[in-house]
Amino acid sequence: MTVAVTFFSWFKDLAGCARATETLPEGATIGDLLRVLWTRYPRLEPMQRSMLIAVGVDYQNRDYVLKPGDEIALFPPVQGG
Amino acid sequence: MRREIIITLEPIDEAALRAGRQISTGAGAVVYFLGVVRDREGEEPIRAIEYECFREMAEHQFRLLFDQVEAQGKVESVRLVHRVGRVAVNEPSLWVEVTAAHRQEAFAACQWLIDEMKRVVPIWKKAVK
Repeated sequence: MTVAVTFFSWFKDLAGCARATETLPEGATIGDLLRVLWTRYPRLEPMQRSMLIAVGVDYQNRDYVLKPGDEIALFPPVQGG
Repeated sequence: MRREIIITLEPIDEAALRAGRQISTGAGAVVYFLGVVRDREGEEPIRAIEYECFREMAEHQFRLLFDQVEAQGKVESVRLVHRVGRVAVNEPSLWVEVTAAHRQEAFAACQWLIDEMKRVVPIWKKAVK
């Protein structure tokens, strides 16, 4: 299955792009996706402790089982105001 | 509970927002907060802040926060405006208004909304030097 990943804020700079697509086996979790992303975008891996993860418009954790077409967003801690 | 969320590239027009205020005869408190860009980020002088937003998710997360305020049943209305894009020093980036029967509930809800916004609403800032 294919999922889309969008990077926000300075994660875009670390990844070198704003958006990517990844192909993963059925049943893959966000944790599995992140392991793929660390190899493709190694500068993101050190940020994983503070990284926030959303699918669509809701926060999710690494156990979330991905579905085809999911839109995943990865970003640093938020700073509104 | 009446509610309004505006995320905009345009300057925050306080006068227009005040003019648009609607309160019931039971409202005893109107609290509003204006967040303004400071001229320093830590020790470094800055000229502006560039705000980036994941708009769909930000609006959704604001709605979830408003749902929690509404569930308390103590607030009559909430209006929130967050400016995004480049905001110069001294210009407002955030305007929040809460109306309620009593001031304690209005102050508490306003403070809570801003604290929670800074925890969950996907907006980021970058200093412009």
